[in-house]
Amino acid sequence: MGILERAAAVAKEAELYEEFREGIAVSFRGGELEKVKSEAVLGRALRVIVDGKLGFASTAGEEEEPLVEAALASAQHGDPAPFSFPPLGGEARVEVLDPGITALGPEELLSWGEEAVQEIKRAFPEVVLDVHLARGTTEIHIANTSGGERSEKRSYLDMGLEIQRIREGDVWLIWLSRSVRRRDDLDPKSLVNKALTYLEWGRETAEPPTGTPPVLFLPEGMVVLLLPLMLGFSGLSVHLGTSPLAGKLGQEVFDRRLTLVDQGTLPYGPRSASFDDEGVPTGTLTLVEEGVVQSFFHDLRSAALAGVEPTGNGLKGGLFGTSFRNPPSPGPRNLLVSPGEGSLEDLIREMREGIIVEGVIGLGQGNVQSGAFSNNVGVGFVVRNGKVVGRLKNTMIAGNAYQVLRHGIKAIGGDAEWCYGTYKASAFLVEGVSVVARG
Amino acid sequence: MREYLREELGKVPADYAEVRWEEVQRSRVQFQRDQLLALEASKEAGGIVRALVDGAWGIAVFTDPGEIPARLREATELARTAARRIRDRISLAPVEPIEDRVEAQLQEDFREVPLEEKRRLTEGYNKLLLDYHHEIVSTSVRYTDTLRRIVYANTEGTYIEQELPDVTLLLVAVARRNGNIQQAFVSLGEAAGYEFAKGHEEEALKVAKRAVELLSAESVKGGRYTVVLDQELAGVFIHEAFGHICEADFLLRNPPMRAVMRLGKRFGVEALNVVEEGYIPGRRGNLPYDDEGVRRRKIYLIKEGVLVGLMHSRATAARMGMEPTGNARAVSWEHEPIVRMRNTYIEPGESSFEELLSGIDYGIYAVGAFGGQTEFEQFTFSAQYAYEIKGGELGKMLRDVVLTGNVFETLRNIEMLGNDFQLKGGAGGCGKDGQSPLPVTDGAPHVRIRDVIVGGR
Repeated sequence: MGILERAAAVAKEAELYEEFREGIAVSFRGGELEKVKSEAVLGRALRVIVDGKLGFASTAGEEEEPLVEAALASAQHGDPAPFSFPPLGGEARVEVLDPGITALGPEELLSWGEEAVQEIKRAFPEVVLDVHLARGTTEIHIANTSGGERSEKRSYLDMGLEIQRIREGDVWLIWLSRSVRRRDDLDPKSLVNKALTYLEWGRETAEPPTGTPPVLFLPEGMVVLLLPLMLGFSGLSVHLGTSPLAGKLGQEVFDRRLTLVDQGTLPYGPRSASFDDEGVPTGTLTLVEEGVVQSFFHDLRSAALAGVEPTGNGLKGGLFGTSFRNPPSPGPRNLLVSPGEGSLEDLIREMREGIIVEGVIGLGQGNVQSGAFSNNVGVGFVVRNGKVVGRLKNTMIAGNAYQVLRHGIKAIGGDAEWCYGTYKASAFLVEGVSVVARG
Repeated sequence: MREYLREELGKVPADYAEVRWEEVQRSRVQFQRDQLLALEASKEAGGIVRALVDGAWGIAVFTDPGEIPARLREATELARTAARRIRDRISLAPVEPIEDRVEAQLQEDFREVPLEEKRRLTEGYNKLLLDYHHEIVSTSVRYTDTLRRIVYANTEGTYIEQELPDVTLLLVAVARRNGNIQQAFVSLGEAAGYEFAKGHEEEALKVAKRAVELLSAESVKGGRYTVVLDQELAGVFIHEAFGHICEADFLLRNPPMRAVMRLGKRFGVEALNVVEEGYIPGRRGNLPYDDEGVRRRKIYLIKEGVLVGLMHSRATAARMGMEPTGNARAVSWEHEPIVRMRNTYIEPGESSFEELLSGIDYGIYAVGAFGGQTEFEQFTFSAQYAYEIKGGELGKMLRDVVLTGNVFETLRNIEMLGNDFQLKGGAGGCGKDGQSPLPVTDGAPHVRIRDVIVGGR
């Protein structure tokens, strides 16, 4: 008898989630090969509803009986489940598996790593460079007592560069990454070129304008403005009243140029899937259309509490990871911020005097829910007379993401890019961000 | 297990190999407002093997214990692949083989406390927060306990079984007045039994009170201030801003940074002593042996203002000609050991709290840590809340206090150290190279620092 059957013998409803991760990873530290690693990890989670009460348990490894016992024990002391497990199936299949990725061996990953080290060191011999490459698959299997079961194998390929440029009394760190589901979507050269551009821009340190100068958030830097939204559009945060967007459905809360879509069905999107971690089909969900709040993302629980349909956003993990150990909660899939027009060069020319923010130190610290941010700029540049003249040092930016996205948008760039395997956005030129520098 | 592992390790055609198999028992209760988001008492198991061939590491992670022989072969093969390309070969500093068995000593064993009781305790704290005031709109209250049973064996004959307990409690209150949303929290963790989670009702009430007070607190005005850090924030500062750059794996292949972090170089005032201590029973993340089977010791990072020590694994110690310090730690069976902190603290000075405040015309008293991050010399960390210091006295409450700066300058700018030392573990942990949250403790007395840049509007 399988786990689900054993649970169902006692529980009215049951749901088994299984996750099998298989992959390899290589790391270079200080330009030198550090390790080659493989993983084959099976994780499971079981949810049951007994006498209307929800129980949960999770495990890694092979043991099946303790998992069933633990879930049933949890249900004994659980709270009423506000939802039922949905019948599974019927969704359109999303393309998420590229055999080209599973065919990659450690030798290829090692070669890409070596090439990245060589190219960057050729132009900037003084930098210290770490490179991480990983590829593999995650196979998800969900079955529940409402009928049906779903399986999906999803591929991933990640590359990360960590570049340290160290001078006496001046240490600078640049961190770049790409996460894709399809072999052809990763171009190690473009990641290397981006690093070279930043290193070039940052050869010298420059004095930033302070006060509230124009600030250009590059796609990667947009995480400062988008992170509060990723939390704020959670149906659970809205229900609990911790989101500033509670009660704002249908209202114009953002600049009219802002349209934000969460799309789980994008072919080979880094967070795409045919169904979420509760088996609910993913879809395309418009969160903001021309500044107006259209919807929130939901898992089974938050949807039931809000009296709406689940949106396929039940994810077992936080914003940037996943784990069988966590019960599902509402999270974004692929967040797409609609682009404007104009190249990065146009925006830099247009701002004339200001700063560029690519990355901050201390992201997510402080009162993120409220939209407040106050961060040291990690990778940022100074613009004078429409030209990049050097990098920022010892500079803090502060503001509120909701206010900036409502009143502060000056221009939105045309070239959207994938960032952190989570969202796709173009650069935003904004005002209303305070800039404090220490000379 | 011992004979089996010894036998399998004996067959591995590698220069060195090790196996770590972990059985974890864990429970968790989590409320958010009226929602019971997690209620769980589960078990899991998994393992990791490492093999060293011609100075290159191969590693394999797995969950099927039957696969140990196959994974040892796989790790050896991966190491061989790496060895064909590696230039800078790894070696391990010698340590004496050890055989030992360490059981957790728990006053009240949380494994024997029914899940129902853990729920009742957590729900009680949640109710205290929710009922405190009508402006408390939400909460997050989380209890966790974990017992990691770690079996470690290597080809040098070391065999260790250790049990690592951990109990955490997180109490968060969220207050809201129109669009103004503020939160306050207390975050606690110890390598202790269930007793540690009980009796925090007064702290819960303080958290709720503070969340409501923060609604009316003024946002700090950005600028440069003399700042007094409370023990918790000073502890986070020394961990984040200085501790991480004393981890030798970061320095190993980083010649410019090694030049900066030269032993014998002065980094702070004479009164400054910074300690990294391996094993303080009851503190978070403590075990007598690290995840390479090395006995942990106490080291000074800074003594009388001068850098005197770094944290090492066997590989970094060999490379730098030092002794291993027992700092090679792994957050779980999914990860290999890397150089990490344990209990990191600034030793106390002699000043009273009043003495620290006196003479400050206008400054900031920053309390509690929201989090912290560093990029080498650059650090940023947020205070939970703060007070202005006016004419040597505490004034009104401030919020949105984010401190930033250059760690070397900041260490030089330490003016006074309090006599009120405190060592504390939180409910979260430390993150590095994708391994998080690793249980640690930080400690310090109150610390007064001049010229700290504070972000704000």
